[in-house]
Formats: sequence, structure tokens, C-alpha cells
Amino acid sequence: MAFEISTQGKFTVVHIDEVRFDASQVDAFKTFMFEHIEGGATELVIDLSMIRFMDSSGLGVLVSVLKKMDGNGSLVLAGAQAAIQDLFSLTAMDRLFSIVDSVDQATAG
Amino acid sequence: MDILIAEDAKDQRLLLAALLKKRGFTVYEAEDGQQALDLLTQYPDIRIVLSDWMMPNMDGITLCQILRNQTTRPIDDQRYFYFILLTSRAEHKALAEGMSVGADDFIRKPVDPEELSARLNAGIRIIELKTALEQKINYIEKDLRYAANAQAQLLAQPTTIQNVSFDWFFQPSRILGGDMFGYQPLDSEHVSFYQLDVAGHGVSSALFSFALNNTLKEDHGGRGIVKSILSTPPYYRIHTPDEVLVQLNQQFQASVDSMHYFTIAYGVLNSQTGVVQLAQAGHPPPLWLQTQSQTVTAIEGKGVPIGMMSNMDYDIQTVQLNRGDRLFLHSDGITECENSAGEQFGEQRLIQLLQQHLQLPLTELIEQVEQAIRQWSEAPSFEDDVTFLILEWQRHTE
Repeated sequence: MAFEISTQGKFTVVHIDEVRFDASQVDAFKTFMFEHIEGGATELVIDLSMIRFMDSSGLGVLVSVLKKMDGNGSLVLAGAQAAIQDLFSLTAMDRLFSIVDSVDQATAG
Repeated sequence: MDILIAEDAKDQRLLLAALLKKRGFTVYEAEDGQQALDLLTQYPDIRIVLSDWMMPNMDGITLCQILRNQTTRPIDDQRYFYFILLTSRAEHKALAEGMSVGADDFIRKPVDPEELSARLNAGIRIIELKTALEQKINYIEKDLRYAANAQAQLLAQPTTIQNVSFDWFFQPSRILGGDMFGYQPLDSEHVSFYQLDVAGHGVSSALFSFALNNTLKEDHGGRGIVKSILSTPPYYRIHTPDEVLVQLNQQFQASVDSMHYFTIAYGVLNSQTGVVQLAQAGHPPPLWLQTQSQTVTAIEGKGVPIGMMSNMDYDIQTVQLNRGDRLFLHSDGITECENSAGEQFGEQRLIQLLQQHLQLPLTELIEQVEQAIRQWSEAPSFEDDVTFLILEWQRHTE
């Protein structure tokens, strides 16, 4: 599995260990995340720092996870590389997510 | 079932042939691999090959190897051969070699009739399963091609509306794509246009794009998303591009499970004044090709893709075209098209390309862009749907 999970204080940090985050990963990622949300995880940080390319299904699954949380807790996207930041900017993802530069920054508060 | 025996020893061959004929097979006989290949090319009903290992001219291993390479073998169709290799007790290494080139089964010589029957039955089962599967696949592919034709019928034809010329390029990555575009007059001096890209590929994305094509039509049963009917003069109101996107977003909210969303650039051009209003929802920014300054600029606009989250609002960008100016709308299939080194084509390269060919007529400009993308990808087909739409506010009024 290309996803690793760790607990840092009250935060559940999910690290995506993939260079490409696309249709070939989204189903596994969705199942993985939904299980943790159903298991009670509320303060989520997704570490995107490894990802160099994200396609429309990758973006879609992040929003699915957000919707699955249904307003409970928080979801922070951390460490996006420049290309991914451009994608987030074009699609105005800052209106939906809290987006920060690093996992440390996400878990500091 | 038709079967071919390749065996150089005549007595063995005749014995096997007689045995198989008695069991109801149509039998073809070859003295070596080359003859076998000729017969297989000639008779399209042969599905099982029973071949000796050692033969003059071409041995059984080579024959199997040739048959397993679907692209280079000299046979017109794609049929699968169930390949059984005959080996003698001494030829142990034939097993390993036979396996590695794709033989399905082995029979040791001298052949035991009962064993041969059992092994042939296994082969027949495989061939029948393969045939049933092929039929189903053919059926599905035929259906998809019908759907692709239907999709092509939906696409607006290159045309000129109120001195605004439209032309485009559309190439789905598979048989069906999730890209769509359209343009239409809204009244005697306004023309609307859009290009959208449904997330994902294939059937479900294409069906969604069909529905959107219909929704964005001006005459959508009087409940149009682009225009509404009023009871007082002028009896209609053209919706601003941001209003259109807000309404689309209310109408198409994805569930947590489906996550069907789309990006879009939607605009309205006043064909008298050249003023364009645009709204964008996560779509690559439209490019503005200006004739006077000979420049190409991106009309930046950010927006949450349609269907992701309810109650989003969208910004409007307004530009004043000069006569002869063009707008280039495209899906990310162009900018994200990768070369063999994994590098993306990118917006900068696209802008440079358009700048270089700014003077060309629309159809030639489209050819240049297509060629550049194909050269970049170096692949026979595209990884993603590639679509672009160009409009020109014509230099001369009629």
C-alpha cells in the first residue's frame, strides 16, 4: 500500500507515497480514507509532498474525502509541490480545503 | 472443431488423424511447421494445433513462437490457437522450452488415445470460453462505436454566427470521451460558447457530457440555463456567464461516491461590440490571440469545478476584442500531454505555438496545433481527450 498513516498529537497524518496520484490509486485511497473516517478519525492531514502529478480523479477523491467527513473535524492538505499548487489554484481548492506548506505547519496549531 | 496435426513421421500422423476423425474432428495434416503455418493461414476455422517438437524446416517450438506473436504472424485474424506439443520420453527440456513460448499443453509419445481425448476436451473448453468472450467484446465495442457516432452528431459543426467564426479539434482518448463544446446565437447580437471536460474517461463521462450538451442549449424547453423567458419586453434575459455556472453547479451536484464533476470555460460574446464575458470553473484559461499586438495571453480565472461542492460562486472576466482577434479554449489534454520523457506540453509551449502561427487561417492553425501535440506525444493515440475550440471575431462585417 502506498499510503502510510501516523498519529501526531490529535492529528491523523496520511502520507501518500506516490509520484503520480491518478485514477490507478484513487479507489484504494478512498477505501483507506473512508475506513479511517468511519473509524472516528476527525483531524486529518494529508501529506502530498511526494506527488508530482495529480489528475482529475485525484482531485476528485480529495473532495470525496472532504464530503465524507460531512463537516466534522478538519482536513488539511500539506506540502503540495508547485505543479499541484497550480492545480489547486486553478480549481480554487483553497475555498474548500485548508492548504498549508508542510505537515509540521499543519500539526503545529 | 477443426484441428491441425503437424508431424513429420507419416505413420504417426496417419494414426493420429484416423483417431481424431473418428472422434468427429475435421483434420488437417502438415509434415512440418512451415506447412502447418500455411494451412493455418488458409483455413480460418482451425483452432487446435497438435504439433510434434522435432520436425524439418520449422520445428514445433518455432511454430508456437510465431503463432503467439499476434502482430507479426502471417495470419489475418486474431484467433487464439490451443497449442499442444507432442514430446517423446527423452525430450524433457521440450517441456520447459514449450512452456516459455506459450504452448498450452503437452502429450507424451506414444500417444494414449484416452489421454489425448481428455486433453483435447480441456482445449475445446478453453477455445469455447475464448470465443464467447470475443463475441461479448465485439458486441460491446460495436455499441461503443455507435455511441461515438452519436457523440460526433452532437458536436456543433464549424460555422460562422453573426460574424463570429468557430472551428475546433476533438479527439477522444478512447472510443468515447468526456470533453464537449458548443456555440450558439442567444439573440441577434449575442453568441455563447463553451468548452468543458468531465473528470474521468469512457462511457460514464461521455454520457454526462451528452446531458450537459443538451442542458446548455438555448432552446432547452423554455427553462434554459443560458437564457430565461420574461413576460415583458424584450421577453428574455441573457444570463451572465457566472450565473450560468452557478446554475449548472446547483443542478449537477456529485454524490460522495460518484464524484462526477467537470471543468468548464463559458463565455458570451457581443458580436456588435466585441465585448466578451467569461466565467471559468477550474478549466485551463482561454487564450486570447490579439492581431494588433501579435500577442497571446491567458485570461486567468479561478473557480471550483462544477459539481464538487454546492453554493459556489464564480467570477467574470471581461475582455474587449478587436476585429480579427481570436479566443482559444482547450481541455487539459493538450497542456498535460506528456512526451516520452514524461515532460508536459504545458501552457507556455502552447502560447508560443499559437503566437508563431497567429496569421494562419483557422483550419491551418488547428492543423498546426494538432501536429505539434502529436509530435510531442509521439504516441498513436492520446492519453487524455484532446479538444480545442477557436473562435474569431471577423475582421470584416458583411
